[in-house]
Amino acid sequence: MKVEHAGWQWTAHVVLIALSAAALLPFALLLVSSFTDEQAILQHGYSFFPDKFSTQAYDYLLNQSSEIVRAYGVTVLVTVVGTSVSLAITTLLAYPLSRRDIPLRTPLAFYVFFTLLFNGGLVPTYLMYTQLFDLKNTLLALIIPGLLMNGFHVLLMRTFFMTSIPLPVIESAKIDGAGEFRTLYSVVLPLSLPILATIGLFQTIAYWNDWFNGLIYLTEPKLFSIQNILNRIMTDIQFLSNSNLGSAASQGMAALPSTTVRMAIAVVGVLPVLVAYPFFQKYFIKGITIGAVKG
Amino acid sequence: MTAAAPCSKQLTIRGVNEMKRIKTAGLMLLIFAMLLAACSGGDRQTEAADGEAAAAPVELTMAFFTFGSTPADLPAVQDAINKIASEKINAKVKLLPISFGAWNQQMNLMLTAGERLDLLVTGSSPTLGYSSQVAKGHLLALDELVRQYGQDIAAAMDPAFLRAGQINGEIYGIPTLRDMASNNGVLFRKDLLDKHGLNAGEIKTIDDLEKALKLLSDNEPGLTLAAANGSIVDHLVNIDNLGDFLGVLLNGGAELKVVNWFETPEYAELLRRVRDWYEKGYILKDLATNKEATHDLVKGHRSFGFMNYLKPGIDPQESRFAGIPMVSASLTEPLSTTSKVTNIMWGIPRHSQYPEKAMQFLNLMYSDKEIINLFDWGIEGKHYVKTGTENVIKFPDGVDASNSGYNLNQGWMFGNQYLSYVFEGDDPEIYIKTKEFSNSAIKSKALGFTFDSTPVKTEIAALTNVLDQFKPGLESGALDPEKNLPEFIAKLRAAGIEKVIAEKQKQLDAWAAQQ
Amino acid sequence: MIREDLHEGKVKPMAQLTARQEERTWPGVAYARRLGRFKRFVPLFLMMLPGLVYLLINNYLPMFGLIIAFKDVNFAKGIMASDWVGFKNFEYLFKTRDAYVITRNTILYNGAFIVINLVVAVAVAILLNEIRSKLLSRFYQSVILLPHLISMVIVSYLVFSFLSIETGFLNKSLLPALGIGEISWYTEAKYWPAILTLVNIWKHAGFYCVVYLAAIVGIDPEYYEAAKLDGASRWQQIRAITLPLITPVITMMTLLAIGRIFYSDFGLFYQVPMNAGALNETTNVIDTYVYRSLMQLGDIGMSSAAGLYQSVVGFILVLVSNYIVRKINKENALF
Repeated sequence: MKVEHAGWQWTAHVVLIALSAAALLPFALLLVSSFTDEQAILQHGYSFFPDKFSTQAYDYLLNQSSEIVRAYGVTVLVTVVGTSVSLAITTLLAYPLSRRDIPLRTPLAFYVFFTLLFNGGLVPTYLMYTQLFDLKNTLLALIIPGLLMNGFHVLLMRTFFMTSIPLPVIESAKIDGAGEFRTLYSVVLPLSLPILATIGLFQTIAYWNDWFNGLIYLTEPKLFSIQNILNRIMTDIQFLSNSNLGSAASQGMAALPSTTVRMAIAVVGVLPVLVAYPFFQKYFIKGITIGAVKG
Repeated sequence: MTAAAPCSKQLTIRGVNEMKRIKTAGLMLLIFAMLLAACSGGDRQTEAADGEAAAAPVELTMAFFTFGSTPADLPAVQDAINKIASEKINAKVKLLPISFGAWNQQMNLMLTAGERLDLLVTGSSPTLGYSSQVAKGHLLALDELVRQYGQDIAAAMDPAFLRAGQINGEIYGIPTLRDMASNNGVLFRKDLLDKHGLNAGEIKTIDDLEKALKLLSDNEPGLTLAAANGSIVDHLVNIDNLGDFLGVLLNGGAELKVVNWFETPEYAELLRRVRDWYEKGYILKDLATNKEATHDLVKGHRSFGFMNYLKPGIDPQESRFAGIPMVSASLTEPLSTTSKVTNIMWGIPRHSQYPEKAMQFLNLMYSDKEIINLFDWGIEGKHYVKTGTENVIKFPDGVDASNSGYNLNQGWMFGNQYLSYVFEGDDPEIYIKTKEFSNSAIKSKALGFTFDSTPVKTEIAALTNVLDQFKPGLESGALDPEKNLPEFIAKLRAAGIEKVIAEKQKQLDAWAAQQ
Repeated sequence: MIREDLHEGKVKPMAQLTARQEERTWPGVAYARRLGRFKRFVPLFLMMLPGLVYLLINNYLPMFGLIIAFKDVNFAKGIMASDWVGFKNFEYLFKTRDAYVITRNTILYNGAFIVINLVVAVAVAILLNEIRSKLLSRFYQSVILLPHLISMVIVSYLVFSFLSIETGFLNKSLLPALGIGEISWYTEAKYWPAILTLVNIWKHAGFYCVVYLAAIVGIDPEYYEAAKLDGASRWQQIRAITLPLITPVITMMTLLAIGRIFYSDFGLFYQVPMNAGALNETTNVIDTYVYRSLMQLGDIGMSSAAGLYQSVVGFILVLVSNYIVRKINKENALF
């Protein structure tokens, strides 16, 4: 038994180290490029061992620091608020769906699922949010459209509730006189920490990485998120190189940040999520308290 | 447990019907509200502006694109502009800068939703989408407005240019006055030309170019030729691409006969030549996928020069960007085509509430030197100061390109660039020369014709994909024409290029008859 | 204990007793009874309300826009009054050989991605579960998730740094070391199925792995202990306990993926190949084809038609798959 477990341990470590390297290497390249001299990149391309190091990219960003700091603020606010509300709504929807005794279970599950497949399109969605709800150029436009709840997360949570929370647990809570909300709060949630952490993580990443809502609903630069700023620079470049603006194009290109700055912005955009991840990891607790319920 | 089952089933059916009814009713109500909103968004009428002078200045929303971040002092400049505008025409502008990468998406949505907008930049390139905006009914026809309120605009430009944006006899966009033509050529690093005894003025033909390329490439290892939009071939000929290269006019639009450019022997020959250069190492191997700016390639010691569109003053401009003196060699005659002239235009959305005021403001942008220079350079004393020379300006002490609060520098966008100041370092007579350059260039016979692709949009969709697949690779020498050109031609035919060419010719003939 | 009795049907819960008595004595109040039963669930329905309303607003209301797919929209008339054009907006998706190519590419890539991502993600999740040291386990998890956080545009730059013909790592360092000549990666279409599949796994394995790991972690360790007592090896434990118990999650993820089989990750297929047209034969999928076609045309009817096409196909496939899954094990079906 011991030998076998050791065998598994070794295999696991080796494979995981290889995968980690594969995941880390490009990120390391990204990091190194952001500290490389612009000329060196133009001349020799990206390299792990550049000819010349420089902090010009970060200096440039520091110059724009008020813009970047504000963007950070916006992103953090949107992420925190969005994730909390979204987690709450998702749980409140997924839990009843997971109860086998509830009527209309199948149609409601279908109602949720259908939204994953059919989409009215960008134009109707935009019309609705700007005309009916007047969200253009507001922070709510970064929180509500598309991201506040996702059928995928709902169904994922539902599956977890169904497989990890045995019916007897719920019924014993009922017998003890607890109402539905109480049951959810004191019995079900504590048992569901892994899935809550998972969905919480997913939502955090989704909000943090979102540049699309900003692209569509914001023209006010004060409300841009970090990803928005990065994305605008990238798409500026893309459109410039594809468009026929004639002589205006080279001037446009000259006004945009260089390669190294783009790398730096990407690094700056990724770091906070990395920092937040361990926070969620705490909840992936092994073999939780299901055992504690029995007996 | 079992007794409960039939009960819950019946309950479910009953409950479902109940729920269904409630839900349906609610849904219908909400959908109805939605439709109402969408409808009203669609036909927001352009109310005629009140005949009586409004007590307060009318506020116009003016959208334009920028590269990179918005200048910090834009609000101050806006105030200065509004001071003049409220006096002269009792109107103010609210400037709405949008970054270029977001422009297409946001403009489409804003126009679709009928949001407040009175002036917008439009143009022939796909990103700016002039012809598709007209096809969708987003833009207002301007002929009458120009006649009534745009006299200075008409006076400032060649009538052929003013009518360049006409679609079905009406104009929907007014070109800005800048370089209205271009010639094709190459920008070389001056120091390298000098080093090898070459004179840019003497490089006039493709053969001359080849000799120069050989000399430079052989003696400067690691340096190659690049091109401004990824295609070498585009810069070696003078054709009127009629907007999309799907059916063109040869010889600078000398006659109104639409041909399939890709099946001409001239094209095949050019491809062969460029491929030859590629194999000999004269051309940047990554050219088809390159995303770097041409001047960055020069700065980064990857390129000794690049193909580009030329105009008066291009040498100092590119030298500035590349940080090293550049000199141009011209290969073709200056040519004016519809796409070049209509590259940057101003339009008024159909749903604008103040089209007359919008046209009046536009009129100021073509005649009022003060407003034009506010747009182009910012506030005198703060962002620039006058020098001793007439019309020439420079930075004030302590200000430079990196810390100026207003470094938009997009004079080609704001109406009449010919009335703009010249920045120190550029030729003081640059605009006089540009004007002359534009007016004396060859005008394609199709100048003023814009193709309406709606009748053949299915074919255009397929053809665009075929173009994307072959054109960049073939025209930068990366794909071997021996194998790929026949495939390219066959695919174009399969996608319906003959149909598109026939339709184009038909529209062109109809347009010509009306002139 | 009560729980076991409940389980064996010996004891009926209180609520049901009352209902049965009612049923016997007052058949005429059948409706009241049903409503009473329904009432029992009102708290649960209240819980669902925010979520359902959000989906109504965010997803169902805009669906009226699907009619745009059948219209030639002219804003002078407004969306509602524009002409109906039947299926004309769909033509460009079917007419040419390219249409066959993009459909083939989309299906093949997504099919491969579903299978490969599943296998890799589950395998990695199982391996992560094996790691004794919690610290190391969390470290690996964070690192493997990292690629998911990097935007595709940056990824395209990084890939370019490997594959560029002028300065790329492969062409300049690795291939010469192996004695192979230069390869112009961005003009040879045949390498890209492999390249894109690799990039896709790299980017998403960490993400899916999180889901499966959470599922594995939720398995009652008593099962494993019981199996160990019976003398099962680790591999047998995995086969008999872990895999079956996470099957519901696997099924759900797969069904969802099937539903989106006609959609692609735009960044992956457009940005990573640097929009190199020469690679279209193997990198053009429905989403990129539509984008390229409509860049010039800007026709919202056509783009809406493409969206509808993708949705309908995915929908039919999911219905069929869900039906099959329902037949095998009702619990695992999506609905």
